[in-house]
Amino acid sequence: MHIPDGYLGPQTYMILDVAMIPIWAVAVSKVKKTLKARQIPLMALAAGFAFIIMMFNIPVIGGSTGHAVGATLIAILLGPWAATISVSIALAIQALLFGDGGITALGANCFNMAVVMPFVGYYLYRLLAGNSENLRRKITASGIASYVAIVAAATVAGVEFGIQPLIAHTASGAPLYAPYPLKVAVLAMFSEHALFFGWVEAIVTMGVVAALAKQESALLDMKPARRSLRWAWAGFSVLVLLTPLGVLAQGTAWGEWSVGQLASRLKLSVPTGLSKLSGLWAAAVPGYAPAFIKNPFVGYLFSAVIGAALCVGVVWGVGKLVASRKTDDER
Amino acid sequence: MMNDRQGRTHKSLARRTADSVGNHIVEVLENEDLAAEKGFLQGIDPRSKLLAVLIFSVTASLVRSPWVLAAMSILALVLASFSAVSPASFARKVWGSAGLFATLIALPAATQFITAGSVLFRLGPVAITRPGALGAITLILRVVASAGFALLIVWTMRWIDLLSALSRMKVPDIIVATLAMAQKQIVSLMRTVEQIHLARESRTLKESTTAENRRWVIERIAFVFQKSVKTADDVYDAMLARGYSGSMRVIHRTPATVRDWSYVVFSAGIAALLIAIDRMVMR
Repeated sequence: MHIPDGYLGPQTYMILDVAMIPIWAVAVSKVKKTLKARQIPLMALAAGFAFIIMMFNIPVIGGSTGHAVGATLIAILLGPWAATISVSIALAIQALLFGDGGITALGANCFNMAVVMPFVGYYLYRLLAGNSENLRRKITASGIASYVAIVAAATVAGVEFGIQPLIAHTASGAPLYAPYPLKVAVLAMFSEHALFFGWVEAIVTMGVVAALAKQESALLDMKPARRSLRWAWAGFSVLVLLTPLGVLAQGTAWGEWSVGQLASRLKLSVPTGLSKLSGLWAAAVPGYAPAFIKNPFVGYLFSAVIGAALCVGVVWGVGKLVASRKTDDER
Repeated sequence: MMNDRQGRTHKSLARRTADSVGNHIVEVLENEDLAAEKGFLQGIDPRSKLLAVLIFSVTASLVRSPWVLAAMSILALVLASFSAVSPASFARKVWGSAGLFATLIALPAATQFITAGSVLFRLGPVAITRPGALGAITLILRVVASAGFALLIVWTMRWIDLLSALSRMKVPDIIVATLAMAQKQIVSLMRTVEQIHLARESRTLKESTTAENRRWVIERIAFVFQKSVKTADDVYDAMLARGYSGSMRVIHRTPATVRDWSYVVFSAGIAALLIAIDRMVMR
């Protein structure tokens, strides 16, 4: 996921370089407050750990190996702000000491791997693990969180690559930086990480959380005292309230066409099997537009609330189930 | 070395990881040796050198002509040659590594499937388009030029000088001090990781299964984290013993001379000239 120099244009890397300055300033201030006087050696150790974790070859399947980034793991162990600093420092050392990863692209790499990844991972972990002391639930939560976090960070990197042909090309249409369009770049980054690197990240995070819990459980509680998740919930609610903006978008998302739309795009008749299977499941609320709500904005918002409530409910239910099974085992 | 079930000899996972980590340690030491040599860039103040490399890196991202990008790659090679870096090492690292990777990324984008346009030539059912070929060449040359300038920092600046430059450029001391400690921590941890894997290799008689290997590697990562925490505590105690009171001070080298600032002005002038030529060529 390391972006070298040359793949991103100045319109992208300069924005991300500048955006990282206040993020680093807030991170330093937060870590100073929470980790107190020991912050420098602790941040240095976390940076060293963030660097070294990428050097371990993890056997996956059939002789193939991959390596983990470890940002979610560090966020779980030390908190997300400490992870932002430590992963940023590891990336800076990789760029300046080994020439690995770009100098102008340092802000973009830090944004993807030191901001998106630890924050998505940490807050998803908190949401799934809750305040439970149940180890199995914590391990499962760490695996899911690290998987989602690396896929999210890779998707953001895919967007950064994919917008390059849109914002910078010659009059003849030759791309000046990363050449692949949005749909190809996002799909490539997403699928590569969803199919392979996400599993490596999840295996490593779950394994290390389990090993530390067994050998020295105090290390799992080094991060600053937990704060209420009310800000995360507030942000989540704002996103739900903003969903009616989706109605303003023109056309259909790439690859999500109906059978009729697909036929018109292909200018061919749709295969029989595809036509038959497309009617296999009748959605309760097709097109996010409930039949009993006439206003499309209200209908979209209603669908968002129901969908979000169902997702949270399923995750909460699975978490409870895992926790109760563990309690039974312990009995 | 291990034998698989068919009797073929191959490197075990532990050996491969130990070799890879060992190569990184050697690279750090070689880069420090190279940075201590007598050469043109080694004699320039670290702050001026860092500024000049930033100017060239940004310029490489601004220009659009492949000719100007090719000239920038040659400029990086010339600067490296005057700074005790062998052209072969430079070519291997810049062209053989960054250039090859960029070529692999760029080639599929030159086809009609990704970049539409008039056809330059055909390879069976695949057509290379003019805009596609131009985009691919531009990307490869841009990556090579940028990598060349970035590696000039790695090869001609000792780590301690880089920290000094960052401090004098008003990067907060807490960040500079953390970078300094993190680098030492990384080298120490790399040695630990190499030794762990060599020890595993030396006492392995039969190849382990993938699941066994995975479990072993994950337990070692947990061990490295425990060791890191312990080291951080020791470092903090050592800092306290030496009178650490919460503020850090980075020791600076001698101040920059007229020659150092002339180099920055010269670099900025070259960069401005390259941008002007680029604008004329691409008009």
